Amino acid sequence: MLAASGQAAVVSSVSLGYRGEPGVESKLLVAAQADIMPVAFLAVDAGLSLNLFQNNGLGAAALGIGTVVYKPVDLTIRLALQHQQWNDWRAGENRVLGTIEAGPGRRLDVGIGLIRRAPVFGDGYWSPFTLSAGAAEWNFLYRLRWKFLQRETWWLRAGFSSYDVYTAHNPQQFPLEADGAWRLNQYVEMVARVGTAIVGYSGGLVSFHEVEISAGVKYAF
Amino acid sequence: MWGIITRPTIEQRVRECLAGDLPEPEPVAVDPDSFCFAVFGDPQIHSDYHSSLDRFRQEVAQRGIDFFCVLGDLTNDATSDECDSIKLQLERVGIPYYVTIGNHDLFQADGWERFKEDYGPSCYPVAIADRIKLIFLDTADGTLGPAQFDWFESELADSRFTKIVLTHFPVFDGEKPIMWRLASDAERVKVQSLLERYGAYAWCAGHIHGLRHLQVDSVHHFTCGAMAPGTLDYGDPGYLLFTFAHDSLSWQFVELN
Repeated sequence: MLAASGQAAVVSSVSLGYRGEPGVESKLLVAAQADIMPVAFLAVDAGLSLNLFQNNGLGAAALGIGTVVYKPVDLTIRLALQHQQWNDWRAGENRVLGTIEAGPGRRLDVGIGLIRRAPVFGDGYWSPFTLSAGAAEWNFLYRLRWKFLQRETWWLRAGFSSYDVYTAHNPQQFPLEADGAWRLNQYVEMVARVGTAIVGYSGGLVSFHEVEISAGVKYAF
Repeated sequence: MWGIITRPTIEQRVRECLAGDLPEPEPVAVDPDSFCFAVFGDPQIHSDYHSSLDRFRQEVAQRGIDFFCVLGDLTNDATSDECDSIKLQLERVGIPYYVTIGNHDLFQADGWERFKEDYGPSCYPVAIADRIKLIFLDTADGTLGPAQFDWFESELADSRFTKIVLTHFPVFDGEKPIMWRLASDAERVKVQSLLERYGAYAWCAGHIHGLRHLQVDSVHHFTCGAMAPGTLDYGDPGYLLFTFAHDSLSWQFVELN
Protein backbone atom coordinates (compact mmCIF):
# COMPACT_ATOMS: atom_id res chain seq x y z
CA MET A 1 0.00 0.00 0.00
CA LEU A 2 2.87 2.32 0.79
CA ALA A 3 4.72 1.88 -2.47
CA ALA A 4 1.66 1.42 -4.61
CA SER A 5 0.19 4.65 -3.38
CA GLY A 6 3.14 6.50 -4.81
CA GLN A 7 4.11 7.87 -1.42
CA ALA A 8 7.57 6.35 -1.48
CA ALA A 9 10.36 5.61 -3.89
CA VAL A 10 11.86 2.90 -1.68
CA VAL A 11 10.00 0.43 0.52
CA SER A 12 11.92 -2.10 2.55
CA SER A 13 10.40 -5.01 4.40
CA VAL A 14 11.40 -7.79 6.74
CA SER A 15 9.28 -10.76 7.69
CA LEU A 16 9.33 -13.90 9.75
CA GLY A 17 7.44 -16.91 8.55
CA TYR A 18 6.94 -20.64 8.54
CA ARG A 19 6.62 -23.11 5.70
CA GLY A 20 5.47 -26.67 6.23
CA GLU A 21 4.76 -29.41 3.75
CA PRO A 22 3.87 -32.85 5.18
CA GLY A 23 6.74 -35.27 4.82
CA VAL A 24 8.82 -32.81 2.84
CA GLU A 25 9.97 -29.89 4.95
CA SER A 26 9.18 -27.78 7.97
CA LYS A 27 11.17 -24.59 8.40
CA LEU A 28 11.19 -21.01 9.57
CA LEU A 29 11.75 -18.28 7.01
CA VAL A 30 13.39 -14.93 7.53
CA ALA A 31 13.07 -12.64 4.53
CA ALA A 32 14.15 -9.15 3.61
CA GLN A 33 13.06 -7.28 0.52
CA ALA A 34 13.44 -3.89 -1.08
CA ASP A 35 11.06 -2.37 -3.63
CA ILE A 36 12.50 0.59 -5.48
CA MET A 37 10.81 2.94 -7.92
CA PRO A 38 13.66 4.94 -9.48
CA VAL A 39 11.24 6.57 -11.90
CA ALA A 40 7.47 6.63 -12.06
CA PHE A 41 7.02 3.84 -14.60
CA LEU A 42 9.72 1.47 -13.36
CA ALA A 43 9.80 -0.82 -10.32
CA VAL A 44 12.69 -2.95 -9.17
CA ASP A 45 12.49 -5.47 -6.36
CA ALA A 46 15.15 -7.62 -4.76
CA GLY A 47 15.06 -9.96 -1.80
CA LEU A 48 16.75 -12.67 0.20
CA SER A 49 15.15 -15.40 2.27
CA LEU A 50 16.89 -17.54 4.88
CA ASN A 51 15.82 -20.97 6.17
CA LEU A 52 16.02 -21.97 9.81
CA PHE A 53 15.70 -25.45 11.38
CA GLN A 54 15.71 -27.29 8.05
CA ASN A 55 17.81 -26.69 4.97
CA ASN A 56 19.52 -24.03 7.04
CA GLY A 57 21.09 -21.02 5.39
CA LEU A 58 20.23 -19.15 2.26
CA GLY A 59 16.87 -20.37 0.98
CA ALA A 60 16.04 -18.04 -1.85
CA ALA A 61 17.11 -14.93 -3.69
CA ALA A 62 15.11 -12.91 -6.15
CA LEU A 63 15.47 -9.96 -8.46
CA GLY A 64 12.66 -8.44 -10.51
CA ILE A 65 12.02 -5.48 -12.75
CA GLY A 66 8.67 -4.22 -13.95
CA THR A 67 7.49 -1.43 -16.15
CA VAL A 68 4.03 0.06 -16.45
CA VAL A 69 2.94 0.01 -20.08
CA TYR A 70 -0.67 1.24 -19.70
CA LYS A 71 -1.33 3.44 -16.71
CA PRO A 72 -5.18 3.42 -16.58
CA VAL A 73 -5.17 -0.23 -15.42
CA ASP A 74 -1.58 -0.30 -14.21
CA LEU A 75 -0.75 -2.89 -16.86
CA THR A 76 2.76 -3.99 -15.99
CA ILE A 77 5.22 -6.21 -17.75
CA ARG A 78 7.52 -7.88 -15.28
CA LEU A 79 10.64 -9.98 -15.61
CA ALA A 80 12.09 -11.75 -12.59
CA LEU A 81 14.88 -14.13 -11.64
CA GLN A 82 14.52 -16.50 -8.72
CA HIS A 83 16.99 -18.84 -7.14
CA GLN A 84 15.81 -21.25 -4.47
CA GLN A 85 17.96 -23.83 -2.71
CA TRP A 86 17.67 -26.66 -0.22
CA ASN A 87 21.07 -27.08 1.39
CA ASP A 88 20.46 -30.38 3.18
CA TRP A 89 19.41 -31.98 -0.09
CA ARG A 90 22.14 -30.33 -2.18
CA ALA A 91 19.46 -29.14 -4.57
CA GLY A 92 18.46 -25.84 -6.05
CA GLU A 93 16.21 -24.39 -8.69
CA ASN A 94 16.71 -21.40 -10.93
CA ARG A 95 13.79 -19.67 -12.55
CA VAL A 96 13.09 -16.95 -15.04
CA LEU A 97 9.59 -15.52 -14.89
CA GLY A 98 7.85 -13.25 -17.34
CA THR A 99 4.44 -11.92 -16.36
CA ILE A 100 1.82 -9.41 -17.40
CA GLU A 101 -0.01 -7.99 -14.43
CA ALA A 102 -2.81 -5.50 -13.96
CA GLY A 103 -4.40 -3.80 -11.03
CA PRO A 104 -5.42 -3.29 -8.45
CA GLY A 105 -8.47 -1.96 -10.21
CA ARG A 106 -11.85 -2.36 -8.58
CA ARG A 107 -9.82 -4.08 -5.84
CA LEU A 108 -8.78 -6.88 -8.20
CA ASP A 109 -5.30 -7.66 -9.34
CA VAL A 110 -4.59 -10.23 -12.01
CA GLY A 111 -1.54 -11.70 -13.66
CA ILE A 112 -0.53 -14.33 -16.16
CA GLY A 113 2.87 -15.45 -17.25
CA LEU A 114 5.36 -18.09 -18.14
CA ILE A 115 8.25 -19.50 -16.17
CA ARG A 116 11.32 -21.47 -17.10
CA ARG A 117 12.46 -23.57 -14.15
CA ALA A 118 15.71 -25.50 -13.99
CA PRO A 119 16.32 -27.77 -11.00
CA VAL A 120 20.01 -28.25 -10.21
CA PHE A 121 21.40 -31.10 -8.13
CA GLY A 122 24.73 -31.98 -6.54
CA ASP A 123 27.81 -29.83 -7.05
CA GLY A 124 26.84 -26.34 -8.06
CA TYR A 125 23.27 -26.53 -6.77
CA TRP A 126 23.84 -23.14 -5.15
CA SER A 127 24.66 -21.43 -8.42
CA PRO A 128 21.96 -19.12 -9.76
CA PHE A 129 23.34 -19.27 -13.29
CA THR A 130 22.29 -22.74 -14.47
CA LEU A 131 19.21 -22.67 -16.68
CA SER A 132 19.59 -25.78 -18.81
CA ALA A 133 19.81 -28.69 -16.35
CA GLY A 134 18.43 -32.10 -17.41
CA ALA A 135 15.03 -31.59 -15.85
CA ALA A 136 14.24 -28.03 -16.92
CA GLU A 137 10.62 -27.28 -17.85
CA TRP A 138 8.16 -24.53 -18.69
CA ASN A 139 5.12 -23.76 -16.56
CA PHE A 140 2.28 -21.25 -16.76
CA LEU A 141 1.75 -18.67 -14.04
CA TYR A 142 -1.51 -17.11 -12.93
CA ARG A 143 -2.87 -14.77 -10.31
CA LEU A 144 -6.26 -13.41 -9.26
CA ARG A 145 -6.63 -11.65 -5.94
CA TRP A 146 -9.45 -9.56 -4.53
CA LYS A 147 -9.05 -6.89 -1.88
CA PHE A 148 -12.40 -7.57 -0.31
CA LEU A 149 -12.02 -5.17 2.60
CA GLN A 150 -10.33 -1.81 2.39
CA ARG A 151 -10.39 0.90 5.01
CA GLU A 152 -8.27 3.98 5.49
CA THR A 153 -5.51 2.26 7.42
CA TRP A 154 -5.96 -1.45 6.67
CA TRP A 155 -7.04 -3.95 4.05
CA LEU A 156 -7.63 -7.68 3.58
CA ARG A 157 -7.19 -9.61 0.35
CA ALA A 158 -7.83 -13.19 -0.76
CA GLY A 159 -7.36 -15.18 -3.91
CA PHE A 160 -4.86 -17.35 -5.66
CA SER A 161 -1.45 -16.72 -7.06
CA SER A 162 0.90 -19.36 -8.40
CA TYR A 163 3.93 -17.12 -7.88
CA ASP A 164 5.39 -14.60 -5.51
CA VAL A 165 8.78 -13.00 -4.99
CA TYR A 166 10.63 -16.19 -4.02
CA THR A 167 8.55 -19.11 -5.22
CA ALA A 168 6.57 -20.41 -8.16
CA HIS A 169 4.16 -23.28 -7.66
CA ASN A 170 3.99 -26.26 -9.97
CA PRO A 171 0.83 -26.68 -12.06
CA GLN A 172 -0.12 -29.73 -9.97
CA GLN A 173 -0.64 -27.38 -7.03
CA PHE A 174 -3.50 -24.92 -6.85
CA PRO A 175 -2.45 -22.19 -4.42
CA LEU A 176 -4.79 -20.19 -2.21
CA GLU A 177 -3.82 -17.23 -0.08
CA ALA A 178 -5.05 -14.41 2.09
CA ASP A 179 -3.07 -11.40 3.18
CA GLY A 180 -3.54 -8.04 4.74
CA ALA A 181 -1.86 -4.88 5.91
CA TRP A 182 -2.30 -2.33 8.66
CA ARG A 183 -0.69 1.09 8.26
CA LEU A 184 0.68 2.40 11.53
CA ASN A 185 1.79 5.77 10.20
CA GLN A 186 3.00 7.46 7.06
CA TYR A 187 6.09 5.26 6.91
CA VAL A 188 5.34 1.98 8.61
CA GLU A 189 2.96 -0.83 7.72
CA MET A 190 2.44 -4.23 9.31
CA VAL A 191 1.77 -7.06 6.86
CA ALA A 192 0.72 -10.69 7.20
CA ARG A 193 -0.01 -13.54 4.85
CA VAL A 194 -1.29 -17.12 5.00
CA GLY A 195 -1.19 -19.49 2.07
CA THR A 196 -1.79 -23.11 1.20
CA ALA A 197 -1.91 -25.26 -1.90
CA ILE A 198 -4.38 -27.89 -3.01
CA VAL A 199 -2.97 -30.98 -4.68
CA GLY A 200 -4.47 -34.09 -6.14
CA TYR A 201 -7.32 -32.44 -7.98
CA SER A 202 -6.45 -34.45 -11.07
CA GLY A 203 -7.30 -37.53 -9.07
CA GLY A 204 -10.53 -36.31 -7.59
CA LEU A 205 -8.85 -36.57 -4.22
CA VAL A 206 -8.28 -33.03 -3.15
CA SER A 207 -6.09 -32.24 -0.17
CA PHE A 208 -4.37 -29.21 1.32
CA HIS A 209 -0.73 -29.92 0.92
CA GLU A 210 1.29 -27.12 2.44
CA VAL A 211 0.98 -24.14 4.69
CA GLU A 212 2.86 -20.88 4.68
CA ILE A 213 2.39 -18.10 7.18
CA SER A 214 4.37 -14.92 7.56
CA ALA A 215 4.20 -11.58 9.29
CA GLY A 216 6.42 -8.58 8.96
CA VAL A 217 6.86 -4.88 8.72
CA LYS A 218 7.32 -2.53 5.77
CA TYR A 219 9.12 0.76 6.05
CA ALA A 220 8.90 3.47 3.42
CA PHE A 221 11.74 5.92 2.85
CA MET B 1 -2.52 -33.26 4.84
CA TRP B 2 -6.25 -32.99 5.12
CA GLY B 3 -8.51 -34.53 2.51
CA ILE B 4 -11.75 -32.71 1.81
CA ILE B 5 -13.37 -35.67 0.10
CA THR B 6 -14.27 -38.59 2.34
CA ARG B 7 -11.96 -41.18 0.84
CA PRO B 8 -8.76 -42.50 2.36
CA THR B 9 -5.96 -39.99 1.96
CA ILE B 10 -2.46 -40.96 0.88
CA GLU B 11 -1.43 -41.01 4.54
CA GLN B 12 -4.27 -43.34 5.52
CA ARG B 13 -3.60 -45.69 2.61
CA VAL B 14 0.13 -45.84 3.27
CA ARG B 15 -0.31 -46.47 6.98
CA GLU B 16 -2.65 -49.32 6.12
CA CYS B 17 -0.10 -50.75 3.68
CA LEU B 18 2.76 -50.49 6.14
CA ALA B 19 0.78 -51.97 9.03
CA GLY B 20 1.41 -55.39 7.51
CA ASP B 21 -2.21 -56.52 7.43
CA LEU B 22 -2.36 -56.66 3.65
CA PRO B 23 -0.59 -59.61 2.01
CA GLU B 24 2.64 -58.36 0.43
CA PRO B 25 3.23 -59.57 -3.11
CA GLU B 26 5.75 -62.43 -3.25
CA PRO B 27 9.06 -62.25 -5.14
CA VAL B 28 8.89 -63.90 -8.54
CA ALA B 29 11.18 -66.89 -9.14
CA VAL B 30 13.45 -66.11 -12.09
CA ASP B 31 16.85 -67.23 -13.37
CA PRO B 32 19.06 -64.97 -11.20
CA ASP B 33 21.61 -64.57 -13.99
CA SER B 34 19.24 -63.68 -16.77
CA PHE B 35 15.74 -62.31 -16.58
CA CYS B 36 13.63 -59.56 -18.07
CA PHE B 37 10.51 -57.71 -17.07
CA ALA B 38 8.15 -55.18 -18.59
CA VAL B 39 6.86 -51.95 -17.06
CA PHE B 40 3.90 -49.93 -18.25
CA GLY B 41 1.18 -47.71 -16.88
CA ASP B 42 -2.34 -46.68 -17.58
CA PRO B 43 -4.18 -49.54 -19.28
CA GLN B 44 -7.07 -47.32 -18.18
CA ILE B 45 -9.84 -49.41 -19.68
CA HIS B 46 -13.18 -47.69 -20.25
CA SER B 47 -16.65 -49.14 -20.38
CA ASP B 48 -15.78 -50.84 -23.69
CA TYR B 49 -13.09 -52.81 -21.82
CA HIS B 50 -10.63 -52.33 -24.67
CA SER B 51 -6.90 -52.47 -23.87
CA SER B 52 -3.58 -53.30 -25.48
CA LEU B 53 -3.02 -56.27 -23.19
CA ASP B 54 -3.85 -58.91 -25.83
CA ARG B 55 -1.12 -57.42 -28.00
CA PHE B 56 1.19 -57.33 -24.97
CA ARG B 57 0.55 -61.03 -24.35
CA GLN B 58 2.12 -61.79 -27.74
CA GLU B 59 5.19 -59.79 -26.68
CA VAL B 60 5.48 -61.82 -23.51
CA ALA B 61 5.65 -65.03 -25.50
CA GLN B 62 8.03 -63.67 -28.14
CA ARG B 63 10.49 -62.05 -25.77
CA GLY B 64 10.28 -64.45 -22.86
CA ILE B 65 9.27 -61.76 -20.39
CA ASP B 66 9.33 -63.15 -16.85
CA PHE B 67 6.92 -60.72 -15.18
CA PHE B 68 5.47 -57.25 -15.58
CA CYS B 69 4.65 -54.17 -13.48
CA VAL B 70 1.62 -51.92 -13.94
CA LEU B 71 1.94 -48.34 -12.72
CA GLY B 72 -1.64 -47.47 -11.88
CA ASP B 73 -4.72 -46.18 -13.67
CA LEU B 74 -5.86 -49.71 -14.34
CA THR B 75 -9.30 -48.41 -15.25
CA ASN B 76 -10.74 -45.09 -16.31
CA ASP B 77 -13.53 -44.80 -13.76
CA ALA B 78 -12.87 -47.66 -11.32
CA THR B 79 -16.38 -49.03 -11.74
CA SER B 80 -16.95 -52.57 -10.57
CA ASP B 81 -17.27 -53.87 -14.15
CA GLU B 82 -14.07 -52.12 -15.24
CA CYS B 83 -12.21 -53.49 -12.22
CA ASP B 84 -13.44 -57.02 -12.99
CA SER B 85 -12.40 -56.69 -16.61
CA ILE B 86 -8.88 -55.39 -16.03
CA LYS B 87 -8.21 -58.00 -13.38
CA LEU B 88 -9.25 -60.70 -15.86
CA GLN B 89 -7.14 -59.18 -18.64
CA LEU B 90 -4.05 -58.95 -16.43
CA GLU B 91 -4.48 -62.57 -15.35
CA ARG B 92 -4.87 -63.65 -18.98
CA VAL B 93 -1.39 -62.36 -19.84
CA GLY B 94 -0.31 -65.51 -18.08
CA ILE B 95 2.78 -64.44 -16.11
CA PRO B 96 3.24 -62.94 -12.63
CA TYR B 97 2.67 -59.21 -12.27
CA TYR B 98 2.85 -56.39 -9.75
CA VAL B 99 0.55 -53.41 -9.52
CA THR B 100 0.46 -50.02 -7.87
CA ILE B 101 -2.36 -47.52 -7.75
CA GLY B 102 -3.17 -44.46 -9.87
CA ASN B 103 -5.51 -41.53 -9.47
CA HIS B 104 -8.21 -43.05 -11.72
CA ASP B 105 -8.31 -46.13 -9.51
CA LEU B 106 -9.74 -43.91 -6.77
CA PHE B 107 -12.51 -42.33 -8.80
CA GLN B 108 -15.18 -44.34 -7.02
CA ALA B 109 -15.82 -44.04 -3.30
CA ASP B 110 -14.85 -47.69 -2.81
CA GLY B 111 -11.81 -47.45 -5.12
CA TRP B 112 -9.24 -48.12 -2.43
CA GLU B 113 -11.23 -51.00 -0.92
CA ARG B 114 -11.51 -52.58 -4.36
CA PHE B 115 -7.83 -52.06 -5.20
CA LYS B 116 -6.48 -53.66 -2.05
CA GLU B 117 -8.95 -56.52 -2.33
CA ASP B 118 -7.72 -57.26 -5.88
CA TYR B 119 -4.01 -56.48 -5.58
CA GLY B 120 -3.03 -55.89 -1.93
CA PRO B 121 -0.93 -52.92 -0.84
CA SER B 122 -0.18 -49.92 -3.04
CA CYS B 123 3.32 -49.38 -1.60
CA TYR B 124 5.66 -52.30 -0.99
CA PRO B 125 9.13 -53.60 -1.87
CA VAL B 126 9.91 -56.72 -3.87
CA ALA B 127 13.43 -58.16 -4.22
CA ILE B 128 13.96 -60.04 -7.46
CA ALA B 129 16.60 -62.79 -7.44
CA ASP B 130 18.57 -60.92 -4.76
CA ARG B 131 19.65 -58.57 -7.54
CA ILE B 132 17.05 -55.89 -7.97
CA LYS B 133 14.75 -54.27 -5.50
CA LEU B 134 11.51 -52.91 -6.93
CA ILE B 135 10.04 -50.21 -4.69
CA PHE B 136 6.40 -49.58 -5.45
CA LEU B 137 5.06 -46.23 -4.24
CA ASP B 138 1.54 -44.89 -3.91
CA THR B 139 1.45 -41.47 -5.59
CA ALA B 140 -2.19 -41.56 -6.65
CA ASP B 141 -2.76 -38.18 -4.96
CA GLY B 142 0.28 -36.61 -6.64
CA THR B 143 2.28 -36.67 -3.43
CA LEU B 144 4.05 -39.18 -1.14
CA GLY B 145 3.02 -38.04 2.31
CA PRO B 146 5.06 -38.20 5.54
CA ALA B 147 4.79 -41.92 6.35
CA GLN B 148 5.65 -43.00 2.84
CA PHE B 149 8.59 -40.58 2.62
CA ASP B 150 10.14 -42.10 5.75
CA TRP B 151 9.50 -45.65 4.55
CA PHE B 152 10.79 -44.81 1.06
CA GLU B 153 14.09 -43.53 2.42
CA SER B 154 14.56 -46.64 4.55
CA GLU B 155 13.95 -48.85 1.50
CA LEU B 156 16.34 -46.82 -0.63
CA ALA B 157 19.02 -47.08 2.05
CA ASP B 158 19.26 -50.85 1.49
CA SER B 159 22.54 -51.03 -0.39
CA ARG B 160 22.37 -54.72 -1.38
CA PHE B 161 20.33 -54.18 -4.54
CA THR B 162 19.97 -52.18 -7.71
CA LYS B 163 16.89 -50.12 -6.88
CA ILE B 164 14.05 -49.21 -9.23
CA VAL B 165 11.11 -47.10 -8.07
CA LEU B 166 7.76 -47.80 -9.68
CA THR B 167 4.82 -45.48 -9.19
CA HIS B 168 2.13 -43.49 -10.94
CA PHE B 169 3.28 -39.87 -10.96
CA PRO B 170 6.46 -38.78 -12.73
CA VAL B 171 8.88 -36.43 -11.01
CA PHE B 172 10.14 -35.05 -14.31
CA ASP B 173 8.75 -35.47 -17.79
CA GLY B 174 9.89 -33.22 -20.59
CA GLU B 175 9.64 -29.46 -20.77
CA LYS B 176 5.99 -28.83 -21.63
CA PRO B 177 3.87 -26.79 -19.21
CA ILE B 178 1.66 -29.59 -17.96
CA MET B 179 0.25 -30.40 -14.55
CA TRP B 180 0.78 -34.15 -14.50
CA ARG B 181 3.93 -34.28 -12.44
CA LEU B 182 4.52 -34.79 -8.70
CA ALA B 183 3.20 -31.90 -6.68
CA SER B 184 5.59 -29.36 -5.26
CA ASP B 185 9.07 -28.14 -6.12
CA ALA B 186 10.32 -29.05 -2.67
CA GLU B 187 8.89 -32.56 -2.88
CA ARG B 188 10.38 -33.13 -6.33
CA VAL B 189 13.86 -32.00 -5.39
CA LYS B 190 13.72 -34.00 -2.16
CA VAL B 191 12.77 -37.13 -4.10
CA GLN B 192 15.56 -36.58 -6.62
CA SER B 193 18.00 -35.88 -3.82
CA LEU B 194 17.12 -39.20 -2.11
CA LEU B 195 17.39 -41.11 -5.38
CA GLU B 196 20.83 -39.63 -5.91
CA ARG B 197 22.02 -40.12 -2.38
CA TYR B 198 21.12 -43.81 -2.28
CA GLY B 199 22.13 -44.59 -5.85
CA ALA B 200 18.71 -45.53 -7.22
CA TYR B 201 18.79 -46.67 -10.82
CA ALA B 202 15.45 -45.37 -12.02
CA TRP B 203 12.09 -43.77 -11.27
CA CYS B 204 9.43 -45.35 -13.50
CA ALA B 205 6.07 -43.61 -13.76
CA GLY B 206 2.87 -43.57 -15.73
CA HIS B 207 0.11 -40.95 -15.57
CA ILE B 208 1.30 -39.21 -18.73
CA HIS B 209 0.42 -41.39 -21.70
CA GLY B 210 3.63 -41.85 -23.61
CA LEU B 211 7.15 -43.24 -23.45
CA ARG B 212 9.88 -40.82 -22.44
CA HIS B 213 13.32 -41.06 -20.90
CA LEU B 214 15.21 -38.33 -19.06
CA GLN B 215 18.41 -38.70 -17.14
CA VAL B 216 18.79 -36.34 -14.21
CA ASP B 217 22.33 -36.68 -12.92
CA SER B 218 22.74 -40.45 -12.43
CA VAL B 219 19.04 -41.33 -12.15
CA HIS B 220 16.93 -42.49 -15.08
CA HIS B 221 13.42 -41.05 -15.18
CA PHE B 222 11.01 -43.03 -17.34
CA THR B 223 7.46 -42.19 -18.27
CA CYS B 224 5.78 -45.37 -19.45
CA GLY B 225 2.06 -44.69 -19.35
CA ALA B 226 1.66 -45.92 -22.90
CA MET B 227 -1.04 -48.57 -22.63
CA ALA B 228 -4.03 -46.25 -22.61
CA PRO B 229 -6.62 -46.83 -25.32
CA GLY B 230 -7.10 -44.10 -27.89
CA THR B 231 -4.74 -41.23 -28.48
CA LEU B 232 -1.67 -40.99 -26.28
CA ASP B 233 -0.19 -37.75 -25.02
CA TYR B 234 2.72 -38.51 -27.33
CA GLY B 235 4.18 -41.46 -29.24
CA ASP B 236 2.77 -44.93 -29.66
CA PRO B 237 1.49 -47.53 -27.21
CA GLY B 238 4.25 -49.59 -25.67
CA TYR B 239 6.17 -50.58 -22.60
CA LEU B 240 9.57 -50.36 -20.98
CA LEU B 241 11.57 -53.58 -21.00
CA PHE B 242 14.31 -54.16 -18.43
CA THR B 243 16.80 -56.95 -19.06
CA PHE B 244 19.20 -58.26 -16.45
CA ALA B 245 22.07 -60.30 -17.87
CA HIS B 246 25.81 -60.66 -17.23
CA ASP B 247 25.41 -58.78 -13.94
CA SER B 248 24.18 -55.75 -15.80
CA LEU B 249 20.80 -54.06 -16.16
CA SER B 250 19.73 -52.56 -19.48
CA TRP B 251 16.49 -51.08 -20.79
CA GLN B 252 14.65 -50.37 -24.00
CA PHE B 253 11.30 -48.98 -25.06
CA VAL B 254 9.19 -51.40 -27.06
CA GLU B 255 6.40 -49.97 -29.20
CA LEU B 256 3.41 -52.17 -29.81
CA ASN B 257 2.63 -51.11 -33.38
